[in-house]
Amino acid sequence: MAIDPTLARVERELKHTSPLIGCRFDPSGRYLYATAQDETIVRFDTTSDEKLSLVGHKSWARGLAFLPGSTSSSHTLLSADYHGKLFWWSSADATKPTRTLDAHEGWVRAVAVSPDGSTIATCGNDHLVKLWTAAGAPIRTLEGHASHVYNVAFHPDGRHLVSIDHKGILKDWDWQAGKCVRDLEAKALHSFDPRFYADIGGARGIAFDTRAGKVRLAACGITNVSNAFAGVGNPLVILFDWVDGKPTLLKLKDAFQGTGWGVAFHPDDYIILAAGGSGGRVFFWKGDDATSLHEVKVPIGARDLAVKAQGDQFAVAGANGTAYLYGFTPPPKVEKKPAAKPKK
Amino acid sequence: MPRYLLAALCAFGSISSSHAGDSLHDRIDGLIAAGHPNFAKQAAPLADDSEFLRRACLDLRGSIPTARETRAFLADPASDKREKLIDSLLAAPEYARRMTHHFDVLLNERRKDVKVLRADWEKYLTHSFTANRPFDLFVREILSADGVDNEKRAPAKFFLDRDFEANIVTRDIARLFLGRNLQCAQCHDHPTITDYKQEHYFGIYAFLSRTFLFPKANLPTAVLAEKADGDTNFMSVFDKTKTKKTTTPKMPGGKPIAEPKAEKGKEYTIAPTKPTVRPVPAFSRRALLAMTLTADRNFARASVNRFWAFMMGRGLIHPLDLDHGENPPSHPELLDILTDEFIAHKYDVKWLIRELALTETYQRSSVVPTGLETVPEDRYLVAALKPLSPEQMAYAIVQASGQADADRTEAGAKAEGLTIRKTLPISAVFAGPAGEPEDSSTATLDQTLFLKFGPVMRDMLAKRPNSLVDRLSKQKDARAVAEELFLSVLTRKPSAEEITDVADALKAKGDPEAIHRELVWSLMASGEFRFNH
Amino acid sequence: MRAPYFCNTAAHSVNRRAFLGTSLGAAAALTPLGFASAAAAKTLQKSQKRVCVIYLSGGASQLETWDPKPNTDNGGPFRSIPTSVPGTHISELLPLSAKQAHRLAIVRGVNTKENSHSPGRTIMLTGRRPDPAIQYPHLGAVSAKLLGSESDTLPGHISILPNAEGASNKSDAAFLGPKFAAILLGDGKPPANLLRPKTLTEEADLQREALRKKLTDRFARSRRSAATEAYSESFDQADQIFRQADLFDVAKEPAKTSDRYGKHDFARHLLLARRLLEAGVTYVKVSHSNYDTHHENFDFHLEQMGEFDRPFTAFLDDLQDRGMLESTLVVVMAEFGRTPKINDRYGRDHWGTAWSVALAGCGIKGGAVVGKTNANGTAVTDREVNGGHLFHTYLRAVGLDPKKNFYPNDRPVPIADPAAAAIDEILA
Repeated sequence: MAIDPTLARVERELKHTSPLIGCRFDPSGRYLYATAQDETIVRFDTTSDEKLSLVGHKSWARGLAFLPGSTSSSHTLLSADYHGKLFWWSSADATKPTRTLDAHEGWVRAVAVSPDGSTIATCGNDHLVKLWTAAGAPIRTLEGHASHVYNVAFHPDGRHLVSIDHKGILKDWDWQAGKCVRDLEAKALHSFDPRFYADIGGARGIAFDTRAGKVRLAACGITNVSNAFAGVGNPLVILFDWVDGKPTLLKLKDAFQGTGWGVAFHPDDYIILAAGGSGGRVFFWKGDDATSLHEVKVPIGARDLAVKAQGDQFAVAGANGTAYLYGFTPPPKVEKKPAAKPKK
Repeated sequence: MPRYLLAALCAFGSISSSHAGDSLHDRIDGLIAAGHPNFAKQAAPLADDSEFLRRACLDLRGSIPTARETRAFLADPASDKREKLIDSLLAAPEYARRMTHHFDVLLNERRKDVKVLRADWEKYLTHSFTANRPFDLFVREILSADGVDNEKRAPAKFFLDRDFEANIVTRDIARLFLGRNLQCAQCHDHPTITDYKQEHYFGIYAFLSRTFLFPKANLPTAVLAEKADGDTNFMSVFDKTKTKKTTTPKMPGGKPIAEPKAEKGKEYTIAPTKPTVRPVPAFSRRALLAMTLTADRNFARASVNRFWAFMMGRGLIHPLDLDHGENPPSHPELLDILTDEFIAHKYDVKWLIRELALTETYQRSSVVPTGLETVPEDRYLVAALKPLSPEQMAYAIVQASGQADADRTEAGAKAEGLTIRKTLPISAVFAGPAGEPEDSSTATLDQTLFLKFGPVMRDMLAKRPNSLVDRLSKQKDARAVAEELFLSVLTRKPSAEEITDVADALKAKGDPEAIHRELVWSLMASGEFRFNH
Repeated sequence: MRAPYFCNTAAHSVNRRAFLGTSLGAAAALTPLGFASAAAAKTLQKSQKRVCVIYLSGGASQLETWDPKPNTDNGGPFRSIPTSVPGTHISELLPLSAKQAHRLAIVRGVNTKENSHSPGRTIMLTGRRPDPAIQYPHLGAVSAKLLGSESDTLPGHISILPNAEGASNKSDAAFLGPKFAAILLGDGKPPANLLRPKTLTEEADLQREALRKKLTDRFARSRRSAATEAYSESFDQADQIFRQADLFDVAKEPAKTSDRYGKHDFARHLLLARRLLEAGVTYVKVSHSNYDTHHENFDFHLEQMGEFDRPFTAFLDDLQDRGMLESTLVVVMAEFGRTPKINDRYGRDHWGTAWSVALAGCGIKGGAVVGKTNANGTAVTDREVNGGHLFHTYLRAVGLDPKKNFYPNDRPVPIADPAAAAIDEILA
């Protein structure tokens, strides 16, 4: 659907009592799942006031992905946590997980599902990318990264898998063959801060443009870091042309201090980025234009972005525990009450 | 009859050994001689020309003389050459630079330059000493500055770069200008010095307590502002009854200042109606501090004591900041006379220094006479050694090595800036910690390694046209090398033994330039160089 | 302090001894470790006490180290893990240290009431709050003065920093005098200017030293000044250290040992500390940078604790293997901890209210845990202590009496804050 980014506004505030970490819409777009610092996952029903707590993790979770269900309205949620575990939750009864799996040593940072729903990919602090069947049986482990693997995503064709690590190395895997086909560099997403002797990096968000034709990959994080421990830097989206691997660094029209936490492609040929740091922002790029054309101020630092498949709404996970549901409908008109007639 | 003989005679009589009609320097010598039995026999003779020349240059110029100056002075037959030298040193621009270095470290204690820039502060000091500003007016300026007028901000550095921390300012005012370290009297009467009372501390504090930094303490552009009210109360931590005492501003042992009672509504000339308004009280306690302090006799006494120590290496009251009844001056009558005379001469610094420089006391040798078993600390039988200040060490090194001469050859009138820049890394290594009185007497490992192997010292040994290593390479024999070397670095001729040492060194295998370099180094690293003797 | 030249004063007798060279032993051949013989080395090791402070610059998080609160609102994502001490758990970020918990004493009730770096640092290194009226000497200067001896050929107070640029040690000895101020080693390199420059041959160096000494001796004799003697002695001391320059070269350590520590900077620095302590340096502080994680606290603690855990435990093992652990006090501290509340950028901010310090070695009761914080780390609930109590404890651990005084200018200054006392529960 066609959108006008300048009309983006908060249509609903989905409130939770603990800061949010990640968020995703289910394939139907009805539910927004958000992970929180209280170790729960909150499922917000976007059509009602219903909220459901998914309790089971004993640590923070960020990565969220979906296995298709037997019907169009059912699905299985996958969530990955910082104790290395992967959880399965059924939409029919999401109050407790249906399966758990020790997937990695240390944090599982992200989880992705192949387009055909058959295969799960996870990545984490053990430098590994792992592949599993939808039921959780191990398929293979992909080794090669030399630092924490921050994110992972399947190519629309399902045969390629992309993973990206802390140092900004992006690996293109023929995962079925277990081979790394090529490395691409997103070095702008990594910095070593000499003042603090610390590295900051990683793609906090990753997305494939799944429209037919020119396939692109977006990865977002923080760049221009002059103070890693105060978060002084700017959000960055690096856009890769899938065929030749050429990167384009997307620019912000106006400067903002913070990290790009979630990036997504919108069907109306937009790229959307949610950033947090010195407050929160959402940025829009159109088509091939490398400079953002619009930005929306978010009431709080944004920690993740989710865009509904239909494109009519997007959600931003807030550091204050609120998920902001944005839409593009014009704001409701404020009815002017006629002035009270003076008493005779 | 020599002064000291007259004094020796007088010591046994009741005649004052100091006659009002004599010059001050003669009276000083008389009193010093009277201060120790058999002074004439026991005291060291006067310093020889080399000793005197080096000492006077270090004290009044802040550096050692050039080899040329040394040769000229040693060869000069005039009987009044020492007096002429003193006068020429006092008239030279380097005198003001030397006093700038000394008073910068004394007043600012190497604190960070935050609220007043270094360049402005140094310019202010240099100007004050070039103009020979009367010392009481100089201190008055420092203690009354508020930093508001940019043109007159520099003297406010004393207050501003202490962040006007009232306790630190009180302590330092008492120490530096009244010769009393009242630090221990902040919380109670001084536990061991009966003359230092808590009310003395707070009497000074009361001048300052209504003042604050405006508009914000941490702004580099902050200025001083003052409220019209606020009392100074204190309590002794030893007082079990917890009696609260109060004081108005006064000098230790002095009368409280008269404070007019302001009409209600008229307490301020500029009232602090808004936080953005800098208040100006109708009656300023702080403004009175400068006048009251500099009028106090203790100010003249402490100042004179400090100038005495500046020249002689030790105060008549020692330490300089412990003037109290149980620590009398080594020569009480002398200190009184110096105090009176300094006041009578309207705190003329150059006059005072000149008089001190003309004394035999100042010009005494530091070589201990062989007959003298014990050298008492405070009798001036022998001149005291003074370690070079960091700035003196730096300037002496660039002069001794001839880098200053080479700069003059290379850049002529523009040489000064080059030479000054060379001194900076050297004085930085020898500088003491910030915020404390500087004590140059201890060597630390980093200073020693700096001298031994550091690249800055290696650079000092570089052969450039007219540097010492260059001049040594042009000497015709070992004796000439030894002479140029010792005259340039140690301001004296080498002894026969030293000439032999140099000759032996020159016989060694290897690059002659390398040998010359290390000869220069050996002398610069010696104890004789490190101290002003 | 000035060295006033009095006959029959302590200052004179000390300097006269030095002038005559009786304390130097410079002619004796020195082994690489600086001892005249292995036997002497052993004796020295037995009786000498040393201190090593590991300083986690910037303020390491107690919740990500010694006092984790998993599954609470402030706990963050990391687990707590069991340690070699039943009932004691520490952060999963310290798996190797957990295995050595029986050697450690953990103080969990630290409340220094200070959230700024510089005052926090003063409190932790001097045992006192910053005081405009007086500067107190750092633990390193106190240790060097009270545990060191006249015959030491190495400086008693050394500070190893990741980078010495801009660092200053000029006031850390305060009234104890510059002799006890820290020698700064940036990136664990030898003291600046320790090595002979290439333009100076050994022969030329020896010759010029001989001439320097000759001139100085002549001068000193004629002036009879203790100060000149002390000045000359400083060159002899520098020479002593120069002869032991290899001590500062961590590459000289056998690979077997250095592999245990690791190859990264902190590993090398801690290994250097061991070399120096073993050679008789009284106090070494090793700073690990940096922990001031206002942003992404968890990722950065993963990285920094990852660098800390293995060298720290290798160091303890190494000290133990060499029989040094029982005579070396090891303290792991910072200027403060970090806020239990996690800010909106996954950071933790400065927090002096409820945090932890760990100790090991000389005089310390291994396995002891003293002090408790509440369920989510926001307050100390039991046995609250401050920098003063810790300072008393360090001194007692190495056999010193913290109730004694220093006497700068003849004025008594207690070595430790009289308002505090040692934490007996962790003293052996």
